[in-house]
Amino acid sequence: MKIEQYKLLEKSLLKDFINSLIPIANVYAPVSKGFNNYVFQNIKSADEVSIKYIPTIIPPKKFFLPKKENILQFFIEDELKVEPVTEYENLIIFGVHTCDIAGIKCLNMVLSDKPKDTAYLIRKKHVTIIGIECNDYCDEYASCSFVGAHMPTTGYDLMFTELSEYFIVHIHSSKGMDIIEKTDIFKDASIAQLEELKILRNNKMKIFNNEIPTERRYLPDLFDRSFNANVWKELEQKCLSCGNCTAVCPTCYCFDIKEEVDLTLKAGERYRVWFSCQLDPFAKVAGGHDFRKERSARQRHRFYRKFRYHIDRYGMVFCTGCGRCSRTCMAKINLKEVLTSLIRESEAKIWRKWL
Amino acid sequence: MAKVVIKDSPYNLKKAKILDVKTLTEKEKLFKLVFEDKTWLDFEPGQFIMVSLMGIGEIPVSICSSPLNRHYFEICVRAVGKVTNSLHKLKAGDIIGVRGPYGNGFPIKSLEGHDLLIIAGGLGIAPLRSLILYSIDNRRDFGEIHILFGCKTPGELLFEDEIEEWSKRLDIHFACTVDRADPDWKGNVGLITSLIPGVDIDPLRTYAAVVGPPVMYKFVIKELLAKGLPVDQILLSFERHMKCGMGKCGRCQIQNLYCCKDGPVFTFKEIMDMAEAL
Amino acid sequence: MSKPKVAFFDFACCEGCQLQVANIGEPLIDLLDIVQVVEFREVMSEKWDGEFDVSFIEGSITDEHAVERIKKIRERSKILVALGSCATIGGVNGMKNSFPLEEVGKYVYGESYKFFPTLQTKAVHQVVPVDYFINGCPIYQPEFITVLKCILQGIPYYVPEYPVCVECKLNENVCMYDRGLTCMGPVTKAGCNSWCINNGNICYGCRGLTINPNTEGFKEVLKKYNIPEDFLIKKIEMYNKCKELD
Repeated sequence: MKIEQYKLLEKSLLKDFINSLIPIANVYAPVSKGFNNYVFQNIKSADEVSIKYIPTIIPPKKFFLPKKENILQFFIEDELKVEPVTEYENLIIFGVHTCDIAGIKCLNMVLSDKPKDTAYLIRKKHVTIIGIECNDYCDEYASCSFVGAHMPTTGYDLMFTELSEYFIVHIHSSKGMDIIEKTDIFKDASIAQLEELKILRNNKMKIFNNEIPTERRYLPDLFDRSFNANVWKELEQKCLSCGNCTAVCPTCYCFDIKEEVDLTLKAGERYRVWFSCQLDPFAKVAGGHDFRKERSARQRHRFYRKFRYHIDRYGMVFCTGCGRCSRTCMAKINLKEVLTSLIRESEAKIWRKWL
Repeated sequence: MAKVVIKDSPYNLKKAKILDVKTLTEKEKLFKLVFEDKTWLDFEPGQFIMVSLMGIGEIPVSICSSPLNRHYFEICVRAVGKVTNSLHKLKAGDIIGVRGPYGNGFPIKSLEGHDLLIIAGGLGIAPLRSLILYSIDNRRDFGEIHILFGCKTPGELLFEDEIEEWSKRLDIHFACTVDRADPDWKGNVGLITSLIPGVDIDPLRTYAAVVGPPVMYKFVIKELLAKGLPVDQILLSFERHMKCGMGKCGRCQIQNLYCCKDGPVFTFKEIMDMAEAL
Repeated sequence: MSKPKVAFFDFACCEGCQLQVANIGEPLIDLLDIVQVVEFREVMSEKWDGEFDVSFIEGSITDEHAVERIKKIRERSKILVALGSCATIGGVNGMKNSFPLEEVGKYVYGESYKFFPTLQTKAVHQVVPVDYFINGCPIYQPEFITVLKCILQGIPYYVPEYPVCVECKLNENVCMYDRGLTCMGPVTKAGCNSWCINNGNICYGCRGLTINPNTEGFKEVLKKYNIPEDFLIKKIEMYNKCKELD
């Protein structure tokens, strides 16, 4: 902890800070929609912002990989003309939790893998991330401790942590520094506050307990044993295939590519849109064969994408523990419960082998 | 929102001109293509390209010509969906968009010095034709070449002229069968699996390359294993609905493999434990 | 090349879907650049006695006259499009099929009902072949434009094979079930961009049931929210009764 990297902000000045961002760029922050639902929304004033919030309906991935994104524009008048395009804006996302930062890191990994997704990288360059640390669980759905996303590590420009008197701000990039230097409301941090931060983090280790009865390092082994587990069959009856679990997932990035001409029928745009492995057309081929027809197989695929396949490919768990999939599921498919059942079922198999 | 043109976008297309369209069957046409900028499509047998009809859509299609053909490349397309039906309406001189090639084709370097057993079901002949033409062009690099081709009916036989030619060659063992014959059909009748026991091969020297409809693989593999072929010498090419071709969109995923990037050609060994593969 | 000749016809309906077309606003000017509207009773008095390139049919088929008329229109049309719930799935007119025809006739016309013979309500495709479907009560204008473009391009239009929830979630609406309301989104075909929910209303299921819905699973969900099953079945039947005749 280098003391120069830390600044202090009076708690009463947080709104002033947010308001100071608005002239710099388009600011997006969590806004309440009622019924304990929140959305990252463009704000015009700090008064709109919910500083305390549970994970938003859709994670900030929507700023990096938009729900609908033009990738090509074409003109078919006399001669075919095709231009790959992308759209971006300078934006600041304020109030990002560490789980969502972990999600963005997962997306970075995939989309900067070769061949690089140039549009994604351009957009990413224009986003500033200002985090807010969670000092306690948001609710019972979260499993951020299990995947190690409950502590700030990297992936942000500024990170705000609430101490007893102040917000302590970790400056993690020159972009972050520029923002701090634009106002004079920040104070230098002293050793006392750094100590307080250390104590807070130590306390967090007690508050945040591993929510799943196993450890992250055992995941590959658990999933290697569980492809034919009964747990998946139970999901067959439950799942409504609404695709909500994947839409709200910070690390789900699957997409479809479509296009539409304009009313001249001579020009148009090709675009990608979010798509979901839970939906019927996802794994169908032209002849009509569906390679993942059962709901159980689709749910299994989702869990393997989070906890197994990407460990091999990218060395990362693709779950951030944000709990959105469980919170949003009408059929009450709960990620923590599914993992726990998997562990129980898998243990039973091992015991049986010994008996 | 600022909008920029990104020339290095992986979704950028090259314009390709249709040189010729040949009707092969009721449902399949063969398109002869060349890039407008006179550049050359550098590919391996078994690789695929993404073909675009602007305003209509983009589909993955395997390249069916020989990679050594320096004048044009070919795709064989069955009219089954929106894009393929529209493609069938095009004629010589029309322009389409192409990006690629993508994926891992047949491992030519491993195949050299070995015997080949090529097994095609229906449209599966398309990617295999690329391999067949390549091995004919480099005939000395390969041992025995066996080609087995099966279709539902005689009317669905693709590349009839070439088949005729292959069957006449002394350096190729060619056999063909149909599931249901018509009165003019004089050849074999029965599933493609019925041809395998009769093929005279040395299993350890032989690589099998199998492409066909999803139902075909299980039965063909069973026969090949019965013949004694090692699991890593059975090559399969899979059909999935690739959208990006770059291992991102997730559409073609087979457990932890991306058909577009890790395949479409896999050895049986790679996928034999994967429930989602076959 | 002359512009394709387009006509609109109404059967048993409220003509609200045609009103959506007439009211489409700015795109109308561009639309009229690419098609020639030759018959459209709601907005013009001219008629056309030749062939139609594209006929849009609003309404369901409910008596013998309608059967004869739709067959004649089909014969004169290269492409026939079912416009709106009544035409695509029978819509609210289908509720008639829950009762004996005689009872329905008496209820409406009293003792003289025999002078007004009637049939079970049918969606258009249950009487003549239909080339394109534009669902909704009323139709969603952007989807109408998309389908029209597909028709003119000569390519099929696929109604999304997934439920309204998919689009609703992307629009970041608060789930109606969280608000304590019963919404048909989970079992209704998407394509409307969750128009109703975006505007604070529930989904009534006007676009018809999605393919392959998990009916048993949905019943379990209803139990969790204390919603009686027959309440939902009534809601489904409001628009989907004609599905029985498919």
